[in-house]
Parts: sequence; structure tokens; C-alpha cells
Amino acid sequence: MIKKTFKISNMTCSNCVMKLESLEDDLVGVKEIKASYHRSEMVIEFDEFKLTDQQIITEVKKKGYQVVEVKEM
Amino acid sequence: MTKKQHNTINPVIIVTFGVVFIAIALVLFVFPPSAESNKLSADPGSWGQLVVAFITGITTGGLSCLAVQGGLLASTLAHQIEQDYVVQAASSKQKARVRANSAFPIFLFLVAKVVAYTMLGALLGWLGSYLTLSPMTRAVFMITIGVFMIGNALRMFNLHPIFRYFSIETPKFITRYIRHTAKGTDTATPLFLGMLTVFIPCGVTQAMMATALGTGSIEMGAALMFSFTLGTSPVFFIVAYLTTELGSRLEKFFMRFVAALVLILGFVTLDGGLNVLGSPFSFQNLSRNWFPSYSTSPSAAEISQPLAADGDGVLVLNVEDNGYFPSSLNAPADKALVLNLITDQTYSCARDFVIPALDFYELLPDTGTVQVNIPAQEKGSTLFFTCSMGMYTGQIVFE
Repeated sequence: MIKKTFKISNMTCSNCVMKLESLEDDLVGVKEIKASYHRSEMVIEFDEFKLTDQQIITEVKKKGYQVVEVKEM
Repeated sequence: MTKKQHNTINPVIIVTFGVVFIAIALVLFVFPPSAESNKLSADPGSWGQLVVAFITGITTGGLSCLAVQGGLLASTLAHQIEQDYVVQAASSKQKARVRANSAFPIFLFLVAKVVAYTMLGALLGWLGSYLTLSPMTRAVFMITIGVFMIGNALRMFNLHPIFRYFSIETPKFITRYIRHTAKGTDTATPLFLGMLTVFIPCGVTQAMMATALGTGSIEMGAALMFSFTLGTSPVFFIVAYLTTELGSRLEKFFMRFVAALVLILGFVTLDGGLNVLGSPFSFQNLSRNWFPSYSTSPSAAEISQPLAADGDGVLVLNVEDNGYFPSSLNAPADKALVLNLITDQTYSCARDFVIPALDFYELLPDTGTVQVNIPAQEKGSTLFFTCSMGMYTGQIVFE
């Protein structure tokens, strides 16, 4: 399991947090997602053998958001 | 790559909610609100506030809330409709019921939402009644609420990331629970989700909740939130037939309008707070001095009849439903005075008379005269007076 921070550019309200955290139910290999509107980011703990950064970015985009930076924690 | 989950309402959560409501009832029993805090007076200002709340709900609140809470409703509906189609497939005779059934969960969702927010409004009003013990507390409270509203408006304008901290984030365990509950398909799900929307209020709702807190009255708080949530319901109901995508587009389109409205409400609240604080820098106090013709003012020479042998003068102020007349009085400096406050079938908050600098606060009778002793004031000084809501103001200028 690894933990990464995905900086999101277009979060507009607290509801965006719920939308992004719903990826927790949708993506296989995700242990936990903690999104924050205040910091405009989501911290995701996932199995790197089951899921890639690019897959996450694609799924985030499907939700209507743009990832601008990925940082490993 | 996708997971499947089917969650229904956990009875433990229902019991928890029951316990919370019983706890609220017990707290209300142990700490009963004062008689003044549970009266919805005939104050035209109060009714005006309710009308404004309803209009805010029907215009901006509905769209803003839809953007935040609409996803829950859409999710519930999707499951409900999916279930209905299964039923329909089993019996083609039930075709007519499908349309009716898709409206029913929306109705349940909205009814539960209105009930939940009305209860929340009552709770906030009750809390507010304990937080508004003195005009000073009320002033600080109103200023805080005003700053919160202005911050939220600037957040909506996306002026700077720092303003994001004016938005309250819902704890993760609650959002997770709501998300999972939305996948339930039983009849109680939309009802329950409607109740849960109290945990994910939009920016406009948060501003309205702050206003409910500021009313300091159970009934007024409840009525305010009821009016606002009722106002949001038609938009919710109509747009719920369309996709939530349309809701978010509309929300984006109206976001600046919503932000502007919240900004105005924020400044009005802040101004009220400054008035109650007796600040000369409130908009009303500044504008009164910038535009003297705004009020009628008798000259110092007109102040009449010595009240006592030592030559104390008497000032007369008429307290009416729509304010204080004259709103600016002139008085001689370095001389103790008596201010006669005259009410004649006055029922508005103007009766809650405050002179912040003298720490004077009194609820005037609806009809009658109350005398206030004003100690000698320096030449050129000004005493500001106001109602306890900071809505109606006036001043005494010492010459």
C-alpha cells in the first residue's frame, strides 16, 4: 500500500469532497480516500499493484475534476 | 475495476438519531428557553425576514443546495426507478405507477428535509437565546456571523483559497455513511437521506443557519429555516426530474449571483452588529451624518421643560414600528438629561431599546413612556441608540 496526495484544481465546495471520496467505493485497490476542500486535495491510500496514478487521474476526471499534481507521502 | 455495494439503513443509526432527539428534548426540559425566546412576535421585521428567507430559498438557495445535495437525491431516485422497472417488467399493468413512484421518493426526500431543517432551526434559535444574553454578546455574535457570511461569499467568488476555510467540512464518517445509505432501495431511504441533508448544508444554507442562530428564538429560528427550506423545495422538485448535471450547470451560472446576495446579507448583519455595539462606523450611523437631511432633528433650543428644579432637560423620542423619530436629536452638552421613550402600540424590535455606551438595555412596553437618565456628556460627543437587532438606529448629538 502506498499513500499519495493528488492536488485538485477545481474543487468548489464541500460536496466535491464527497464526490471524490466516492471513488473509494468505485476503484479496486483503494484502501482509503481523504479529500479536503480546504486544501483542495485528496489523499489516497491504495495498492500500487492493482491501481496506477494514471487510472486514478482518469477516474477523477470522470467525476469532473482536474489533477494538477501528484505527491508521494 | 468497480466495486458493488448494497447498503440499507442501519437500525443502529436510526436508534442513534432517536437518542439524539430525546437528548435534545431533555436538554430543552432542563434548560427551558425564556418566555421571550419562544415568541414569534407580530413584528413586521420578523415576517419580512421570513419572506426574505423564502425568496432566498426559491431563487438562490434551491440551486445552491441542489448542487450540494442533489447527488444524494439523484442516487436514491436512480435506485428507486431501477427497482420500479423491475416491478414493471414483472407486471406490465403497473406502467402508470412507474411515473408516480419516481415522484414519491422526491416528495419524501423534501418533506424529510423541511422537517429536519425546521427542527435544526428551532435548535439553533434555542442555542442563540442563550448566546444573546446581553446586547454586547449579541453584537459580537452578529459581527461574527456577518464576517462568516462575507467570507463565504468571497469563497463563492473564488477570490482566494484562504476563504475556503469559511466553508464547514462534514466529518468523513458522516459523508461515508450518507454515500452508502444513498444506495439503499427501500421506501425509507429517501426519507432518511432528506434528514441527513442537515449534515451537508450548502453555503447559502450555512448562512441561513447562522441567521437562525442570531434570532435567539426557537420559533423564529424554526420558522426561518422552514421558510428557507420550503423555498428551496420547488427547485429541488423540478430539477430532480432532470439530471443533476443540469443542476450543477445552473448552480455554476448563478454562483456569482448567490455570492453577491450572501455578501449583501453579510454586510447587513455586520452593520447590525456594529450598531448594537454603538460604533460610529456602522453604515447607518455614517450615512446619517453624511446625509443630515435623512432625519428630522430639533435644535438644542427646542429641548423643553426642565424636569426638575436643577434644570435637567427632557428629550422626547417616539418609538414606532419602523424606527425612532426623530432619529437624530440635539442636546445641550455638560448637562444631565432625561430621555422619554414613548411607545404607542409599537410591536417591532424597536421596543428592544439599547444605548450601548451607557450599557442601557430595556424592553419597552408596547404602549407607554419609559424614562432614561442620560448623564452629562461632553460637547461634540454623540450617543448612539439602536434596537437590539441593530436594525433601527438613532443618535443624540451634544452641542
